[in-house]
Amino acid sequence: MKQQRLWLLFIVAIFGVAFAPLPLGTAVPTSRTVRLEASSFEFSPAVVAVNPGDQVTIELAATDVMHGLYLDGYDLEITAEPGQTAVLTFTADKTGTFRFRCSVTCGALHPFMIGKLKVGPNLLLWRSVALSLLAVLFFISREPLFVNREPLSVVRKPNAEYEIRNTEHGIRNTEHP
Amino acid sequence: MKRSDLTRIPVVKALLVNRWPQFILRIVALAGFVVAILAGLLGTPVGSRNLSIVFVWIAWWALLILAAVPLFGRGWCTVCPIPMAGEWLQNGALLGPRKRETGDQRSETSSNLQSLVSSLRLRPWPKRFRNIWLQNGGFLLLALFSAVVLTQPMVTAVILAAFLFLAVGAALIFERRAFCRYLCPVGGFIGLYSQVAPLEVRVRDTAVCAAHTDKTCYTGNENGYGCPWGVFPGGLIKNTYCGACLECLRTCPHDNIAIQIRPVGADLTVARGRKLDEAFKAFIMLGSAVVYSAVMLGPWGWLKTTAYSVGSLAWLGYALAFLLLILGALPGLFYLATWAGTAQRGNRRALRQRFTANAYALVPLGLMAWIAFSLSFVFANISYLWPVMSDPFGWGWDLFGTAALNWTPYLSRVVPALQTLVLVGGLAWAAGTARKIAAEKRGGTAVPVIIYCFFITVGLLWLLIG
Amino acid sequence: MAADWLTHRGVKSAKKSVNLSGEFLARFLLALLVIGTPLWIWAARRGETAVTVHALMPEKGGFLPDTLTAAVGVPLELNLISDDVMHGFAVGQTGWPAVDVKPGQMTEVTLTFAEPGTYTYYCTRWCGPNHWRMRGTIEVTGAEEREAPPASPPLYVELELDIDAPHELDILLKTPPSAARGAELDITLPSEFLSRDVYLTQTPFEVWQALRLASETAALTDEDVWDLVAAAWHSQTTDEQIQRGQTLYNQNCAACHGSGGGGDGVFGQAFDQASDFTDSQTMLGASTAVFDGKIRRGGMGTGMPYWGTIFTDEEIDALIAYLWTFQFPMDNE
Repeated sequence: MKQQRLWLLFIVAIFGVAFAPLPLGTAVPTSRTVRLEASSFEFSPAVVAVNPGDQVTIELAATDVMHGLYLDGYDLEITAEPGQTAVLTFTADKTGTFRFRCSVTCGALHPFMIGKLKVGPNLLLWRSVALSLLAVLFFISREPLFVNREPLSVVRKPNAEYEIRNTEHGIRNTEHP
Repeated sequence: MKRSDLTRIPVVKALLVNRWPQFILRIVALAGFVVAILAGLLGTPVGSRNLSIVFVWIAWWALLILAAVPLFGRGWCTVCPIPMAGEWLQNGALLGPRKRETGDQRSETSSNLQSLVSSLRLRPWPKRFRNIWLQNGGFLLLALFSAVVLTQPMVTAVILAAFLFLAVGAALIFERRAFCRYLCPVGGFIGLYSQVAPLEVRVRDTAVCAAHTDKTCYTGNENGYGCPWGVFPGGLIKNTYCGACLECLRTCPHDNIAIQIRPVGADLTVARGRKLDEAFKAFIMLGSAVVYSAVMLGPWGWLKTTAYSVGSLAWLGYALAFLLLILGALPGLFYLATWAGTAQRGNRRALRQRFTANAYALVPLGLMAWIAFSLSFVFANISYLWPVMSDPFGWGWDLFGTAALNWTPYLSRVVPALQTLVLVGGLAWAAGTARKIAAEKRGGTAVPVIIYCFFITVGLLWLLIG
Repeated sequence: MAADWLTHRGVKSAKKSVNLSGEFLARFLLALLVIGTPLWIWAARRGETAVTVHALMPEKGGFLPDTLTAAVGVPLELNLISDDVMHGFAVGQTGWPAVDVKPGQMTEVTLTFAEPGTYTYYCTRWCGPNHWRMRGTIEVTGAEEREAPPASPPLYVELELDIDAPHELDILLKTPPSAARGAELDITLPSEFLSRDVYLTQTPFEVWQALRLASETAALTDEDVWDLVAAAWHSQTTDEQIQRGQTLYNQNCAACHGSGGGGDGVFGQAFDQASDFTDSQTMLGASTAVFDGKIRRGGMGTGMPYWGTIFTDEEIDALIAYLWTFQFPMDNE
């Protein structure tokens, strides 16, 4: 019974951690402009934080060769050439942390040119850390904290095992009971 | 737990025993391999538009780490074309063993190739290298240059060609598939992670093997070759070094070989045969997943440039840090965790044994870390595949009408949630495995190892979805 | 067990011949794929007649090859491909639209020249600070060599101007002169101030000085006179011209001179410091002829490219018309 209750508790906790609604912050949405300088293979600043609901304007300025910006999750894209700043305006209506990537091949490491847009708190990260913690607690709760304990279970032994050695005549096997 | 034997299904068994399905897959893979090498050497130096990079590091890698390894273990090794040439030279035949020379009667089909084969004096692989340390080193070496290897078609082509030459060279000097078993940098981690696969090659009844004096599975007969991996199937307790080549299925005269579906991760809790080289493979793979996530998917441009500027002072620093993390910090902290979780702290030998044993808990953690890393890398870039299929060399071809398709990431909204599931699942799996391993011996607790896994998982979560 | 073994053997020897043909079929298939694939690739490449031009960043070689030949009226087929980043391709003074040269992706263009001569092709996408060095030439030979009409020398040569001489003034304008305000003053400027010649050869400051001395402006403030100069300059340009100039400027000049003309473009610091077109002290002491000369000839070592072989006369006029708007802003904007 006790074991069952523990299980139930963990399942409830898992669902709670995974799906419980959480406040997203109370910041009043504003409009903000971010100038992103793109150079091979880096966005600067590489991490941009805005509040949910903000009207975000990204000015993408390429500083060496042509670059682009593809925003994950929002699926928006712009490209910019040195001298010709590109502007992207959108409402940050999805919360979470989104990667943005260069979308114009700009050299060998182009596929790895990545930045982050943080819209409000990264609930996915916190929830997954909490889930990890729950998982750890679950296993630790079933584990002796102190090391002087008896083995928990008997390990299954294979039926029979063989060892194999290369000899002049091929192989020789020895049986282990 | 109950295992169900796939070879009991006649169609499956026929398909596996017959050499043609496997052979067709292998030559198709070989043709792909040759085209990849040619594309790397002759095609455009722009990686995202060259078949060698896109096929090998996006398509093949996705297939390997997201499907082949977790589902089939050494499934890739079954169809890998790299050892084909070497085996042909060793065996004198491509498809299957030909008439064997019995007694003084020489085969009438004897050819030049066969006389070459008989002139080879194949040596057994040197004893001191009968482990995966060379594979560990090979993987680390490639990993240090990964920023270049993954992006430069020419480098990829040279490495693929080098694999081929090494495999042939090894086959001309040493017995069996020495390259696969002891050298292939990919084979090392496939072997380690194949321990978690829900598929295994085992014998049905070990007593049959014990009574079978010919041991044709090891020596070969006219139905097939002796185990190319130098493994005696009757002694198989883990997947690690079984290459899933299916030869024993063909050579066993007693129909004693089974290919079974089994619980995932079954090999991890088999106490026998745990080794330090495999334990370090677990650290190398886990550490590389962490480093790759930071270097390739992180927002730090300087780190990417450093990893790419091979030979520069900054790169040497990066290489040193990489090696220190993977061979020093990760195992060092793990040793501490092992020390904290055991009662016999004074006994160095016992401690080392526990360290090695505990490291097997990192196998599911590392595999899931690689899957999580690959998810974001693969889904973001798999759309490069369509143009490259139509224009493999960047020569303006349009074989399938897809040459002009643009790059676009797929599932960018779903991937982070998937990664969370994979990483948290990996942690739970690792923690459960750690408990089982700790329980094997008296006086141990898995708590410190579980906490170690927790911190690694949090670090990966932060790198990949933070 | 023994019986088992025997049956296996029996079956095997009966199959021997089948097995052999299987082996040869396997070898044939292997050869077909492994030798056939490269052969097929080679064969597919053989029919290629077009010239492949690789585009690389200027530090890595620029256009390879950078000299091409063609004959008048004979189509020149080019396969353009970039080996690193996004580049572009256009032929100077032809008005043909520029095409993108994408990394690892072939772009096919066919050029047919009507006139013999030396043409310059150039990169149209900024690919680094040295982007403008990325050029090549096409020698186009005619059926019969005609004597090309002697090109008129650029204005600055005709005027014997030293376009490298410093032209800073000792004046400082508080507000930019406005053509609209100038028009509102309702003063009919003497026609000599509205001539094309004045716009081309005189500096705004010279015109301002002359106007200041004219009797019509006696009642006006210095600022008012500047507004008149702006009006005079404005009368020599059209809105379409300025718009065209702006497009050219953004594509070719803004990376160094800045999209606002302030000399603060992303590559402005890479060289000696790109000119600041918003600085009235240097601008008002220069004439259209000086700009024309600098654009055509380039900066001779300062990093300013030469555009004489690329822009047409109309394009240079449009560009200068736009440059003047940094001093004499368009009021309707």
